[in-house]
Amino acid sequence: MDFIRDYYFDFTIMGDEFGRVFDGFVLTLQLSIVAGVLSLAWGLVLALVRQLPGKPLAPLRWLAIGYIDALRGIPMLLVLFLVSGFLSVAASPVGGEILPREIGIPTWFGMTSPFWYGVISLTLTYGAYMAEVYRAGIEAVPHGQMEAARSLGMSHGKAMRHVIVPQAVRKVIPPLLNDFIALMKDTSLVSVIGALEVVQVGNDIQNEQINGSGLVLGALFFLAITIPLARLVDYLIAKQQRRTQRSGGGDEDEPEESGPAPMPTGLAGA
Amino acid sequence: MDNAPQAHGNAPADGSPMLLLENVHKSFGSLEVLSGVDLEVNKGEVVCVIGPSGSGKSTLLRCINLLEPPNKGTIYLEGQKITGRKARDGVDFVRRRVGMVFQQFNLFPHMTALQNVCIAQRTVLERSGEEAREKAHGLLERVGLSDKVNEYPDRLSGGQQQRVAIARALAMDPSVMLFDEVTSALDPELVKEVLDVVGELAEEGMTMVVVTHEMRFAADVGHRVAFMDGGTVLEFGTPGEVLGAPKHARTKRFLGLVLGE
Repeated sequence: MDFIRDYYFDFTIMGDEFGRVFDGFVLTLQLSIVAGVLSLAWGLVLALVRQLPGKPLAPLRWLAIGYIDALRGIPMLLVLFLVSGFLSVAASPVGGEILPREIGIPTWFGMTSPFWYGVISLTLTYGAYMAEVYRAGIEAVPHGQMEAARSLGMSHGKAMRHVIVPQAVRKVIPPLLNDFIALMKDTSLVSVIGALEVVQVGNDIQNEQINGSGLVLGALFFLAITIPLARLVDYLIAKQQRRTQRSGGGDEDEPEESGPAPMPTGLAGA
Repeated sequence: MDNAPQAHGNAPADGSPMLLLENVHKSFGSLEVLSGVDLEVNKGEVVCVIGPSGSGKSTLLRCINLLEPPNKGTIYLEGQKITGRKARDGVDFVRRRVGMVFQQFNLFPHMTALQNVCIAQRTVLERSGEEAREKAHGLLERVGLSDKVNEYPDRLSGGQQQRVAIARALAMDPSVMLFDEVTSALDPELVKEVLDVVGELAEEGMTMVVVTHEMRFAADVGHRVAFMDGGTVLEFGTPGEVLGAPKHARTKRFLGLVLGE
């Protein structure tokens, strides 16, 4: 038992390596936040393209559906290898330098190219997940809302922007947060192309010291963020359900109330 | 058109009716909901549409503002043809002139009463914020809700929500208002406050098509009444003619069922 305790909870090692693990976690957070924000935006774009009305725009809709299906159906790690491999080769003499170096091997804002390959891959993958969440939210807005907006003379775009999307986003904040938690955990995959994020740092420590305490410290850092987020999701869902039950208008067909409760999508990763 | 009853007000420039429907057909799949509707509404006139459920009343209104484009037939608004080939231009033309109030109110739940009345003024008519708010305050006062300006819809009763919805439609300065069973979703004690607002609009000379189950309202406020059954207008005349002395057996039977209660 002492061996298990010392292997995972060696506080001397945790103290000595705290700075290194913390630096790794800062990179994890940077990856999560940059890719998270970009995924939110890219997912909304995909969802809106998917909802475009009319026959002439059908090819765009199919393109969006195909993209979403494809990116949800392949592992994020595979996307990461595809993106990092293509970009770095395309900017090198082997690839004929078809991409300028600053795009193929990006070092924007002082971050390394593995960081940016990770951001791009996470955004491509999680944008697809989030597009599905947005779609559920858009479809949960009662049809009468679009009709009312159109009857007031708004175009499809204006109705989306001012009426549908604001309501849809409110409904899907909890499942979007769940996707963010999953994204945050998937940032660890970027270590395989050389990003020194917290899991990589913890494993380096394990290899150097034959001790897992650095990894446990990394786990604690993760939990310090993900557990409060999970609680926040529960709180928001409970709040929405209370709102749904409080049928303020006094009529059973209250437009706002007919949407389904936001679905907790769990913490499933890619 | 020539034998139209005397209009309450003046028709559009060339003397044609404000709204004219000729042989309008609408099907959903194999289900024919409108099978050749003719209707005319003059400027300042209130036409009440009555009839049993499923007779096509709501679909008729939805065709008039092109929420459901008709499959066949022609609709003229202010003398302009709004159906057929150039339907795309038609939509903007129609929606800027025709206001609609729905059975389920369809207020935007994430906006206050004031914002509900302002949003389309801002985004469609491109009025300034101040101009839109001034207009909205005036209209909300007119429907008796000046104390509810900053409330969200879920804090309002059904009757109050419906009056906000009326103000929202009026804010666009429509030349025709469509009312689709606007009191059907309301508790009985809230019906009057909404019908009073609609009645006042009628007195002010607003051109209106009102689908309703309130026969008293149709008799008191309607200048003409259309009885619909089976996707067509079976009888069209003054309330005295249609409600007082119906010619068709189906109209008689419907009125007997409705008024017999």
